[in-house]
Amino acid sequence: MSDITVCPSKEEVGYARQCDGCPGQQYCQSSQSEHPGQSALDVRMKAIKRKILIVSGKGGVGKSTMSSQLAMGIAHFGSKVGVLDVDICGPSLPKLFNCEDYQIVSQEWGWIPAISNGVSVMSVAFMLPNRDSPVIWRGPRKTNIIIRFLKDTYWGKLDYLLIDTPPGTSDEHLSTISSLKNVKVDGAVIVTTPQELALDTIRREITFCQKMNVTILGIVENMSGYVCPCCDEISDIFSTGGAEELANEFDIPFLGKVPLDPSVVQLCDTGKTIWETENQYSDSIKNIIDNIEIEINKIQ
Amino acid sequence: MQPIPEDKQEHCPGTESDQAGKQSACEGCPNQQICASGEANLPDPDLGNIKERLKDVKHKILVLSGKGGVGKSTFTSQLALALSDTEQEEEEIDVGLLDIDICGPSIPRIMGLHGSRVHNSSMGWEPVYVDQLAVMSIGFLLDDPADAIIWRGPKKNGIIKQFLKDVNWGELDYLVVDTPPGTSDEHISIVQYLKESSITGAVIVTTPQEISLLDVRKEINFCKKVNIPIIGVVENMSIFVCPNCKAESVIFPPTTGGAVKMCEDMDIPFLGSLPLDPRIARSCDTGKPFIVEYPDTPAAIAYRSVVDKVKQFCEDTTK
Repeated sequence: MSDITVCPSKEEVGYARQCDGCPGQQYCQSSQSEHPGQSALDVRMKAIKRKILIVSGKGGVGKSTMSSQLAMGIAHFGSKVGVLDVDICGPSLPKLFNCEDYQIVSQEWGWIPAISNGVSVMSVAFMLPNRDSPVIWRGPRKTNIIIRFLKDTYWGKLDYLLIDTPPGTSDEHLSTISSLKNVKVDGAVIVTTPQELALDTIRREITFCQKMNVTILGIVENMSGYVCPCCDEISDIFSTGGAEELANEFDIPFLGKVPLDPSVVQLCDTGKTIWETENQYSDSIKNIIDNIEIEINKIQ
Repeated sequence: MQPIPEDKQEHCPGTESDQAGKQSACEGCPNQQICASGEANLPDPDLGNIKERLKDVKHKILVLSGKGGVGKSTFTSQLALALSDTEQEEEEIDVGLLDIDICGPSIPRIMGLHGSRVHNSSMGWEPVYVDQLAVMSIGFLLDDPADAIIWRGPKKNGIIKQFLKDVNWGELDYLVVDTPPGTSDEHISIVQYLKESSITGAVIVTTPQEISLLDVRKEINFCKKVNIPIIGVVENMSIFVCPNCKAESVIFPPTTGGAVKMCEDMDIPFLGSLPLDPRIARSCDTGKPFIVEYPDTPAAIAYRSVVDKVKQFCEDTTK
């Protein structure tokens, strides 16, 4: 029985039972043939050892912050890492890496990414005439640019490529996963905040990963606890512990908790790295990086 | 090696434009052939059906952000509740709340309607009611509220159209629409579908830090580009009051002046700041409306102040 909650992928696109009557049916049928650049894309991606999706489903939980801090941490500890921003409407990574003024350079080997804090970064923001320009694109155009980013960016040989995704379970996610179908995606890291309202969406995200056959490397609970600077009272502003319970419920690894720290918010707004000093926040990120590596090694 | 698209800043001309499929921006777009053939350009008869269905809805308000997780759905629900509060009014006020966040519908849980289902009547789909408030969300159409909705743009557009055309909204003073983050299919479609029905205005929600304002400025420019009147901007999570020592602290520092500075720069009204109160998150989780459960808190008072300004804007448009 066809699952009406999922647009079909691969061979059935446009022709599955649930496609009947869908306004996009004709478009999907016409886009059935493999993208002409697929083999070029596969070559680029095979030069990258680990490809990890950073997902949530829920907006505002700190996916992009987590992507940037994980990437900077991985670079800090000596590995080669890139981050691809597939949030086309709300690209945050250039700000987080303090490279908003970068404009993409196209050379013989491909589009050259920005380099910041040891990380290669690619984002649609590097193509916009100014920072406040809205990107009012429907799904197919977003799909197209994502394929271009994967196929045409000169990433070179990387140890890690983190792919930062927007909230939702739609075109960007389907297109990224579909484009990487011939190369191994090591898995997805799900970021959430602790409260039930976020966890609703995370349950859907877990279902999404299962339906798309993407391994879930684990769940990160972000904004977990805020320490009042005056009296050290810990307030669970967005509740606490919910993500770990959910991870247990679905038998998924729990990668760690990250506290809510205004000084980190300030650093992120100015594109600075947290790795210049050791603190509770950087310890928690290091813990997550270690746990991700453990989970990847378990699968291999 | 293909060069970087020259048209990178060009927007999709729109499937109904006479330039659909023909502009340089269309090169390489998977939809180009369909657009260029003109098939996507045929007049949409459903716009008239939507206009007819919504003819007794006085004010339609979109709640937008651009950025995720700023509290759009929380704000939309409190706005809808406060608008429908008839304690101060002589007449009953009818309010509808439409959730067009298809992939991440939050409204059912916030309103305490998690697990509710939609019923069909001869008049169409019946919204789910909380007291007098009529609510519609994709969450009500799922067999299992934990089901993931993994739909591409066209399918999301289809359900949004049905929410406008097939739901028996009846006579409403306000229809408040909760949107997902971004400026994509859902947003383009809601504006397109309400073209003949008119949108009273948009309230834009943000948090103080620059990483949010970055996306919110884009959303404001989206509104200007598609000619949606902007009611104003609300800054959420502006300060945190410690429940222990009552000290105020700033969790999301407004490193670039926050929403107030952004509104000055972009010449749009600032509606107010809403503080961060841990009870708001808990209320959303348990489905008990915050401004009803804790009406005398600073946050609830701040909410009501913003709502009064929204009401005033709507009243001014009917004069």
